[in-house]
Amino acid sequence: MEAPGGGASPLSPALVGRLRREHEKVVTGCQEKIQHWKKVESDYEALQERLQTLPDKLSYDVMVPFGPLAFMPGKLVHTNEITVLLGDNWFSKCSAKQAIELVEHRKKHVRKALDDLQKVMKNFESRAEFTEDLQKMSDAAGEYVDIREEIEDDSIETKGKYRTAHKPHSKPKVSNVFEVDFPTNGNDTKPMGRFQSEEELWARLEELERQEEMLGELDRMPDAVQVNGEDATSSEDEREDKDTDVNGTCRAEDCITQGNFHKEFGNSDLFVRHLNGSTYHSDDEDDRDVGHNSVPTIYFSHTVEPKRVRINTGKNTTLKFSEKKEEAKRKKRNSSGNGHAAPELPIIKTPADIYRYFVDVVNGEYVPRKSILKSRSRENSVCSDTSENSAAEFDDRRGVQRSVSCDEATQSDNSEGILEEEEGEEKQQLPKKLPPSSGTTEAFSGTVIEKEPLSPSAMPHPVLAHPVLPTILERKSEELLSDAPEEPVKRISKFRAARMQQTQ
Amino acid sequence: MSGRPPRQEDGDSAALRHKEELSRRIKEQKVVVDELSNLKKNRKVYKQQPNSNIFFLADRTEMLSQSKNTLDELKKAHQELENSEKAKIKK
Repeated sequence: MEAPGGGASPLSPALVGRLRREHEKVVTGCQEKIQHWKKVESDYEALQERLQTLPDKLSYDVMVPFGPLAFMPGKLVHTNEITVLLGDNWFSKCSAKQAIELVEHRKKHVRKALDDLQKVMKNFESRAEFTEDLQKMSDAAGEYVDIREEIEDDSIETKGKYRTAHKPHSKPKVSNVFEVDFPTNGNDTKPMGRFQSEEELWARLEELERQEEMLGELDRMPDAVQVNGEDATSSEDEREDKDTDVNGTCRAEDCITQGNFHKEFGNSDLFVRHLNGSTYHSDDEDDRDVGHNSVPTIYFSHTVEPKRVRINTGKNTTLKFSEKKEEAKRKKRNSSGNGHAAPELPIIKTPADIYRYFVDVVNGEYVPRKSILKSRSRENSVCSDTSENSAAEFDDRRGVQRSVSCDEATQSDNSEGILEEEEGEEKQQLPKKLPPSSGTTEAFSGTVIEKEPLSPSAMPHPVLAHPVLPTILERKSEELLSDAPEEPVKRISKFRAARMQQTQ
Repeated sequence: MSGRPPRQEDGDSAALRHKEELSRRIKEQKVVVDELSNLKKNRKVYKQQPNSNIFFLADRTEMLSQSKNTLDELKKAHQELENSEKAKIKK
């Protein structure tokens, strides 16, 4: 059953016949062995019988063989003394009874061998029968049909899959980069991807180019804006560009590998990309790739995301933050005549400073903000970064005066400054805040006093800031005591900033 | 299909061999019985220990009865074999 089943040629009668013959050979061999062992067994039985009766008499009259052909009468004495051949010409002297036990032991062994042989014989007999059945099957071809699956096609498919398997490396990057474009580009490109005629293809390419240009402009716009202070966003854009470029190249290669059509596409993509040099070419490529691989469109969306983030951070955050405050600050700035909030910003020299300045208020306690971007609740969070944060701390120490001074500081701050801080606090603040070098502690106290009289214009701010702060004040006083050395610097810096602004 | 005949032949040959063996032994046993029955009373009878060359002295009458018994058994076995063959043929 093994050979024919596994063999490539289906049950050729010759093979089956040979198999059956081999099986029968084994069976006959087994039969012969069985006969031999049976004879051995019968011999042992006879011996045993003789041994059992041998000690019955003291002596036996026997014909002793004298060579192969001659006999001479004799007497068998020592009927209970038997030498047993143990093997390898070693003999042992023993009584008839012990000899009988030995014989019994050997008979057991013989019986075991017989059983094994019987099993083997049965097994091969059944196999022989099965081969006969196989022969019948091969003979009666009408009844049985051979069902096969061609593997060649599958292997080709697997090759294709391998190609796709490579893509995941490039894809994840893309997915990170692009999310928003997906709805716009992805829907259009996907269905069209493979089946376009050349004309359509070219038209599509042109359209894509136009889109890319548009997008590229959009992209550049934020960069220009970033000059003002959005370092983080600019960095993000750069990242996007890099990612997209990498992805784009990968995609192009993939396309080339996949076929003529894809080659054209890939080449065109490359061409376009080089021309514009913007990230959005890669988007288009991604869309096509999605079409080819049936890969999720996720790739595209990410490019737009950063924009969203910017928008959100810029407008929404400011709005949430405190519209009134901003307005007040703007007014202040207008009054002060300088739009730049930079001087007011607290000095951040170490990451710890960031946590000190950006603090969330939970149940009246200061809790370092986990992530500025996350901002689980903007309203609750006291933006200590500019003036507020410092204000809160100062309030703890100095009380109302502090808050007032803080208000002034906040007023002096620009709405832009706040935005900037939220977006990329660390990066932006460092450059801006450095200029107001850490002032001396004495200056702080003096400035506080001075600010109070000025406060009336700032008063609206305290209203905003205070609701959160009052509970905090007590605590902060305690904290401040412990933190005393660091805090005075902050205050001073704010004041200085305010002064700077005024002077400017 | 081709498998059947040889197997049957094997079986037949085995049965045939068995049958021949049986008939041969029956003939042999008949001779033994005749010889033993025709022996003079003072003759000694030795019986060979199977699988060896030694002969034990045995009782003549005893051996005669024993050989007769074996002859009967052999005849019975032979009869059964023939009956089974006849049954097969009838089927």
